Amino acid sequence: MTGTGTEDLLRRLAPHVLGALVRRYGHFDLAEDATQEALVSASVQWPRDGVPENPKGWLITVASRRLTDLLRSDQARRRREETVTRWAVVDERGTSDGPPHAADTDDTLVLLFLCCHPSLSAASQIALTLRAVGGLTTAKIARAFLVSEETVTRRITRAKRSILDSGIPFALPGPAEASDRLGAVLRVLYLTFNEGYASTIGPNLQRVDLAEEAVRLARTVHAALPGDSEVAGLLALMLLTHARHRARSGPDGGLVPMAEQDRSLWDREAIGEGIGLVSEALPRGPTGPYQLQAAIAAVHDEAPSAEATDWPQIVALYGVLRQLDDSPVVALNHAVAVSMVEGPEAGLGLLAPLADDPRINADRRFHAVRAHLLEQSGNVAAARDAYEAAARQATNLQQRRYLNGQIARLDQERRAVPKDASRP
Amino acid sequence: MKYMIMTFASQQSYEEMVARPAADTAWTPEDYAAIGAFMQEFNQELLDSGELVETRGLSFPVHTRRVGLREGVPVVTDGPYAEAEEVLAGYWIVECDSFDRATEIAARLTSCPGPEHVRARASADVRPIDDHQPDYEG
Repeated sequence: MTGTGTEDLLRRLAPHVLGALVRRYGHFDLAEDATQEALVSASVQWPRDGVPENPKGWLITVASRRLTDLLRSDQARRRREETVTRWAVVDERGTSDGPPHAADTDDTLVLLFLCCHPSLSAASQIALTLRAVGGLTTAKIARAFLVSEETVTRRITRAKRSILDSGIPFALPGPAEASDRLGAVLRVLYLTFNEGYASTIGPNLQRVDLAEEAVRLARTVHAALPGDSEVAGLLALMLLTHARHRARSGPDGGLVPMAEQDRSLWDREAIGEGIGLVSEALPRGPTGPYQLQAAIAAVHDEAPSAEATDWPQIVALYGVLRQLDDSPVVALNHAVAVSMVEGPEAGLGLLAPLADDPRINADRRFHAVRAHLLEQSGNVAAARDAYEAAARQATNLQQRRYLNGQIARLDQERRAVPKDASRP
Repeated sequence: MKYMIMTFASQQSYEEMVARPAADTAWTPEDYAAIGAFMQEFNQELLDSGELVETRGLSFPVHTRRVGLREGVPVVTDGPYAEAEEVLAGYWIVECDSFDRATEIAARLTSCPGPEHVRARASADVRPIDDHQPDYEG
């Protein structure tokens, strides 16, 4: 088996091994360390000696042994502090009235709910999820987010302490809490995906593909909860967005806007899968923001060109999305879609109230969209000012290059127009 | 031992790099792509050798805010640098066996591609990081 094959297998088994350990012994914090160490041992031994007949059993045995060591060395300290473990190991099959799942699927879900507990900060939720459920090493997580290993270790340690202090049981939350907690899980996966997608920030180091990791974890959640429409919607949204990644950057590493992308580079297989998921989820309901965003992405992905896109459909979807989500970025995208149907003036009309919204009026994206619509409406001088405002706000070199390129293009076009034909 | 490698640039050179229309000389897409490819390879090698601790590029000097006291009152100054002033543009923290090895790494930056007038002026500084451990654990 190749190194990558081993790594894939190990990362798939990671949550099941950790789940088995916590179920048997409690002590989530130490069990998580023990599991990591077992994974590291396997990643060295298996490519050399071959994969054992029962890889999961091997990992559980090695991790259990390691956990015993950790507990022993931890005992003196624990005795001194006189703390009893606040871990309550509950068999959720006795309390949950949902359909029965395989224990492995349960473990993954229980772990996800635990790692994404609302008492943890978003950064801690993400780091802990990627390590405990995704089976990534601290070093790889650090590299992926361009932070030091110490920072990731601190985030994970702090997260585990909060979990311990809060006394959250290792079990699926009750039905009343489950939907909130699932919302937190989906948000963590969504943030992880976006971090992977915003690949334009920072030096182009070889990063763990966070977008693909988020897709993998979303697949796991979807497999555990196939009837949940928002889970299906999030997986669809990721697939439909990630399908365009090869067309997103130009030869100089700059961002290529969707209208200018070479659509033959889009991943048709991922698009097909995403469309299938969202078409099944939407009629089932209840409709949520991930399904709506996925539906919008699907309409874009199905179009042969920007002009041939079903813009009225996109306008309608953004109309519904705006009722669920008052984010100014949604309002911005809605204005763009409206301008494609009714013309740039209609779009500019919808942008006007955003000029007073402090969440977006100093944002590069607001000025860039405004510049584009002003240019289309023929107001070149105002468009140039807006592009300059956008360039001033951009902190990213590539984005600033793109916006300056737009200004240079406007200047060139203006020079190309003969004097007597220019504006009065 | 850890070392910090620092590179410097002025607001002016940033403007050239992002091809601001008012800049005297703008970088072409090829210039820009070449530096990206060089940095990617440079960073990847440091990553593979295990010497890279962390690296970052800083955004435009014009986005700088300086915080200080004026007559005992904290004051924030926006964009304190002059156009042509050379300021920190990016850094690497490397962990390696010797000062000479850190210098060798920094020297590789002299082969970074770019317009000639930029290359002629460019330099990098290497400084050891004071990270000595306390003699005993309190």
